[in-house]
Amino acid sequence: MENVLNKEIKTIIDACPEVGRILDEYGIGCVPCSVGSCLLKDVVGIHNLDPQQEATLMYRIEKAIYPDRKVSEPVIDTTKKSAPKKITYSPSVRKLVDEHVLIKRLLALIPTIVDYIESSIKVDKDLVLQCVDFIRTYADKYHHMKEEDILFRSVDEKADIIQVMYKDHDTGRGYIRQVVEGAEKGNKALIKENMLAYRELLTQHIKKEDEILYPWIDRQLTTTQVGEMFRKCNEADASVGEELPKKYEKFICDLEEKFLQEVAK
Amino acid sequence: MSGCPGSKTIDFSEKTDLEGSETGKRPSQLRQWPIQMHLVSPQAPYFQGKDILLAADCTAFALGDFHKDYLKGKSVGIACPKLDSDQEVYTEKIRALIDDAKINTLTVMIMQVPCCFGLAQIAKEGAEKASRKIPVKQVVVGLEGNILSEEWI
Repeated sequence: MENVLNKEIKTIIDACPEVGRILDEYGIGCVPCSVGSCLLKDVVGIHNLDPQQEATLMYRIEKAIYPDRKVSEPVIDTTKKSAPKKITYSPSVRKLVDEHVLIKRLLALIPTIVDYIESSIKVDKDLVLQCVDFIRTYADKYHHMKEEDILFRSVDEKADIIQVMYKDHDTGRGYIRQVVEGAEKGNKALIKENMLAYRELLTQHIKKEDEILYPWIDRQLTTTQVGEMFRKCNEADASVGEELPKKYEKFICDLEEKFLQEVAK
Repeated sequence: MSGCPGSKTIDFSEKTDLEGSETGKRPSQLRQWPIQMHLVSPQAPYFQGKDILLAADCTAFALGDFHKDYLKGKSVGIACPKLDSDQEVYTEKIRALIDDAKINTLTVMIMQVPCCFGLAQIAKEGAEKASRKIPVKQVVVGLEGNILSEEWI
C-alpha cells in the first residue's frame, strides 16, 4: 500500500475507477480534477477526516486496488484530532472567503448574461468588457494576487494542491482572453463558450478553496503567521484603496438589478 | 437554584482516563515578569510586536500542556474577570498593547464558566477601541482541561 500512497491520484483512478467513487463518497472530488497530480497520501491528509473515517477510507481503497489481497482491518489513530464540525477561518482567510461571495454573484449571473448576448442583435461589447474588468481587476488582481503573493507563500508553494490552484488561475485568464477576443470580433459563440467555461472552472475552484485548501492552510499556520498574514493582506488592500471593492460591489448590484429586470420581461 | 457555575463544587479526582506521559521534565515557557494585568506595562519590551496570550487565571491550572501548547512563543497577561477590580484598566491596556506595543496577535484563553466570558468581552472592547486591527483568537478550556473551542473571532 505504501507505494500506492505515493502515486498520483489520476494514475490511481485511471487504473482503478472504483477509487474515484470511494473518494467521492467521502466528499473528496478528485475525479473531475483536470490535473490530478496530487499524491494519494496528500489527498487523504488534506481533507482532515477524523481517524475512523480515514482508516476506513484507506481500507476500502486498498481493497479496491488489491481485491485478492488479504487486507487487514482499519487501524485507527486516536491521537489525531477529529475534523472540526464547522469550518472556521483565520481573519485574512475569512476575508478571502467573503470576497468569493461577490465573485460567485457574478458567476451566478453568467448564464443570464450569455442568454442576453445570444439573443441580442449586436454584441453588447461594453457589458462584456465590464464583466471582464470585474474579473481581471477584482477577482484576479485584488483577490487572486493576495492568494498568490501572500497566502500560498505561507505554505509549501510547491505542494500539488497549490500548483492546481495556480493552474486554475492561469486557465481562467486564458478563458477571459478568449472572451475579450469574442467581444472585439463580435463573436457570440466565442464569448458564450469561454464565459461558461470560466463559470464552471471558478465555481469548482472556489468550492475547493473554501472547503479544502483554505482550511488546510489555516491548520498549518502558526499564530505568528496569522498575524503577519493579516498585516500583509491589510497592506495589500490599502495599496489599492478602499474605493475599489466598493466600486465592484456596486457593479455587481447594478448588474443583478439589470438582469433581474431582463428575466422579469 | 443551581448557583453560580463558576463557583459550583465539582470533584473529578476519580478521573481515570488519563492519557499522556508524565516522564521527562517540561521547561517553563514563561519569558517575562510580571504577568498579572494590573502589574504589566504595555511599554514593556517583551510585548513589543509579539503574540500575546491573555489568560484567565484558572486556565493554566486546568490545562495540562498550557506551557507547551499555548504559552510557548507568546508574552502573557493574566486576569480574573470575576474577582479582579478596576477592569476598565485592562481594556485600556489591551488598546495600548495593540496601538502602542503593536502586538501581532491576541489570544484570549478562558474557562468554560459563564463569568469567564467577561475576559473575552474585555479583549473585544480593547480591540474595538484600538485604531490598529489585529487577529484575536478565543480559546475556551473545559473544567477538566480539555479544549472546548478554539477560533479566531
